[in-house]
Amino acid sequence: MASSVQSCPPAKLAADCSATSCRGGCALEVIDELLARTDSVRGEDADLLLDLRSWIRRREDAEAVLRTFCELRRRLEHREYLAFFRLRRWLENHLIAEVRVCPAAEPRPVPVRLQYFCLEAIRRASLCSALGSGEPLLAPRVQFVYRTQPSSDEPSISSRSVSAVG
Amino acid sequence: MSKTIIQSAAVKSKQDTRLVEALNLVLADSYALMSLTHLAHWNVEGPGFFSLHKAFEDQYEDLFEAVDEIAERIRALEHYAIGGLTKLARTAGMEEFTSPQSQKDYVASLIVAHEKVIDDAARARDLSGEFEDPETQDLMIKRIQSHQKTVWMLKSFLRS
Repeated sequence: MASSVQSCPPAKLAADCSATSCRGGCALEVIDELLARTDSVRGEDADLLLDLRSWIRRREDAEAVLRTFCELRRRLEHREYLAFFRLRRWLENHLIAEVRVCPAAEPRPVPVRLQYFCLEAIRRASLCSALGSGEPLLAPRVQFVYRTQPSSDEPSISSRSVSAVG
Repeated sequence: MSKTIIQSAAVKSKQDTRLVEALNLVLADSYALMSLTHLAHWNVEGPGFFSLHKAFEDQYEDLFEAVDEIAERIRALEHYAIGGLTKLARTAGMEEFTSPQSQKDYVASLIVAHEKVIDDAARARDLSGEFEDPETQDLMIKRIQSHQKTVWMLKSFLRS
């Protein structure tokens, strides 16, 4: 168990897009730019982008934001790498994973790292990060929430969240 | 004649430090970007290694000359240039990416950093106009052009 924990990717806070330098609407601007590119974005991609925009604008459903982002990334990143890099950085600095080692435990905030293209992989990476101390997980849960202050060194916990069982 | 203009701009900047503050920010940005570009030059790896390694070298050499020009312009305006790694990094407030990362992430990170320099240099350019200081304005225009050209090249790589 311990060796598998050590092989997990370490959690790091992205230093860019900090609370002082990040404009709150920059993710929305990136999405708007993508929506304007009718040559590369159309149909279902545009619908997904509009869903993503709506959730981010209202700071709702972080779980759906990540799921939709992953889906869009798989579809469009090969054509729009820079836009997805900006979105990835923004999400890493505005979302956080809350890991509970058991349902009754206090949530442990873990930085979200979007190095994977699938929500479940991101969830497992968050679990691995939380396991850095080697604590056994009895019935772990991970829920993605918005940071109250983007990219602070000590992640805080937002009240708006959607829970999910890991 | 040029001495008179420099003295005139220096007198104005003594009374109102906004232009010198804007120039010091561009200086800090440029230094931070130079450091990041050097980091990318050292650590980039993969199939595009040789072209990126050389491109990053050209870019940090251009930035090395630029920081000297900007700092000397600040001195010509009879102010002091900021310096020291901590002070420069804190002033620039730029992302310090970690290695290793993918080639495309190095390039995208640098594009974002160049865009910040362009934004801050544009502010210094506009203030130079307000201060009737065409030499500083010319320097900022040249810097913006250089960064825009680099962004174009880096964006072209991402399309590969």
